[in-house]
Amino acid sequence: MSTVRIPTPLRPYTDGHKEIECAGASVSAALQDLTARFPALAPHLFNGDGHLRPYVNVFVNDQDIRSLQGEATALAADDRVMIVPSIAGGRGGSPLRPVDHAALRTNQAVIIGLLMAAYIADAPVVVAAVGLLMLIGAARMRPAFGWFYSWLRRPGWLKPDVVSDNPEPHRFAQLLGGVFLGLSELGFAVGWSGAGWILAALVALLAAVNLFAGVCVGCAIYYWLARLHVPGFSKSPPPGALPGRRPAA
Amino acid sequence: MTLVLASDLADEIRRHAEATYPEEAAGLLLGTVEDGDRRRITQVITLANRWEPGARHHRYRLEPRDLIAAEDRAEQEGLMILGIFHSHPDHPAQPSAFDLDQALPFYTYLIVRVDSGAAVENLAWRLAEDRSRFDRETLDLLTDNRGEP
Repeated sequence: MSTVRIPTPLRPYTDGHKEIECAGASVSAALQDLTARFPALAPHLFNGDGHLRPYVNVFVNDQDIRSLQGEATALAADDRVMIVPSIAGGRGGSPLRPVDHAALRTNQAVIIGLLMAAYIADAPVVVAAVGLLMLIGAARMRPAFGWFYSWLRRPGWLKPDVVSDNPEPHRFAQLLGGVFLGLSELGFAVGWSGAGWILAALVALLAAVNLFAGVCVGCAIYYWLARLHVPGFSKSPPPGALPGRRPAA
Repeated sequence: MTLVLASDLADEIRRHAEATYPEEAAGLLLGTVEDGDRRRITQVITLANRWEPGARHHRYRLEPRDLIAAEDRAEQEGLMILGIFHSHPDHPAQPSAFDLDQALPFYTYLIVRVDSGAAVENLAWRLAEDRSRFDRETLDLLTDNRGEP
C-alpha cells in the first residue's frame, strides 16, 4: 500500500480525506484503486481516454513521474504519491502585434539593390545613406524604405502580408544592419575599402537570406539574447515559429 | 463567500505585484475557513512566476514543488491553501478566458490590477461548479493587521 496525498481542491471528492492508502504496484494501479473508491475524482484526474490530464502533476517521493517512468512508475510499500495541480493563468490575450511582412521584404529588396548598385558604381556614399536610413528606421520603429513600399502599394502592385508577430526583433535586425553599414563606412573613411565592402556585402547577404530563404538572422539573434535574459530583449518567438522564421498567418 | 484580508497582507500582495510589474506576480493565500464560507487569510506566500521568460507579462505558472512545500507548511500551522493571487499588469482585475481555462475548483482567485506599476484594484473570484464562469467573492479588506479575530 502506498499513501496518496490529495490536494485541497480535490478533497471534496474524497470525502475530505487528505491522504488515502491505495493498493497497486505502479502509479497507474494506485490511481485506479483511488478512483475506483472515489469515482467523482476520476474526471478531475483523467481525460476521456484514461490518461492523466496535462494540468495534473504526480510526484513520487518528491520526484515528478514525468522524470521517472510516467504512470508506469513502480511503487514500493511506503512510497508517498502526491497529486499536485498545475496552477497557471494570466490576463491572456495575444502579446503579438500585426506586422506587415510585405513591407519588410520590400525593405530587404531595396537594401540589397542599393548596396549592389553602390558596389558596381564604387560609391561608398550610397552605403552610408542606406545605413543612415536603416538607423533612422530602427529609431522610428518602421522599415527604412517603408515609404517606398507605401508608394508601390498605392497602385496595387504590392499586397500587404500581415501576420501576428513581434515587431521588436525586426527592428533589432534593422538596427544591426544599420550598425554594420556604419562600421563599413568607417572602413571606407580610414582607407580600408576592402573591409568596408565585406561588411556591406554581409548586410546584403543577410537581407537576401531573409528575402529569399525567409530567415531573419537578426531576429534569431534577438530571440537568443532574450533566452539569455539580456536586458531589453524580452519577447519569445510567436507560437509554432522557429526563431527568425515567419510565423503562420 | 467572503475573503477576509488584513491590511498588512494586502500590502504584501500589493508590493509583490508592483515589484514584479510589468510581469505578472503570483502567490498563495493561506488561512482558515469560518462559518458562512468566510475565508480568513492569515498568511501570504509570494512565489516566482515560472512561466517561460518573454510571456510573463500576460501569463503565470507556479512551480508544483512550491505548492507541495506550501501545503506542508500550511498543514504544520493548522492552515489551508485557500487561494491563489496573481496580478494583471495594465489590465482589469477580471479573470480572463485563459484564467477560466486553467482554474481549479475550491480556490479563491484574487486578481490585482496593476496600472503602470501601481496596484489599483483587488477582486476575488471563485470558479463556478460547472466551470462555466467565475463568481465574484466578497472581499472584506480589514484596516487592521493580520487577519486574527
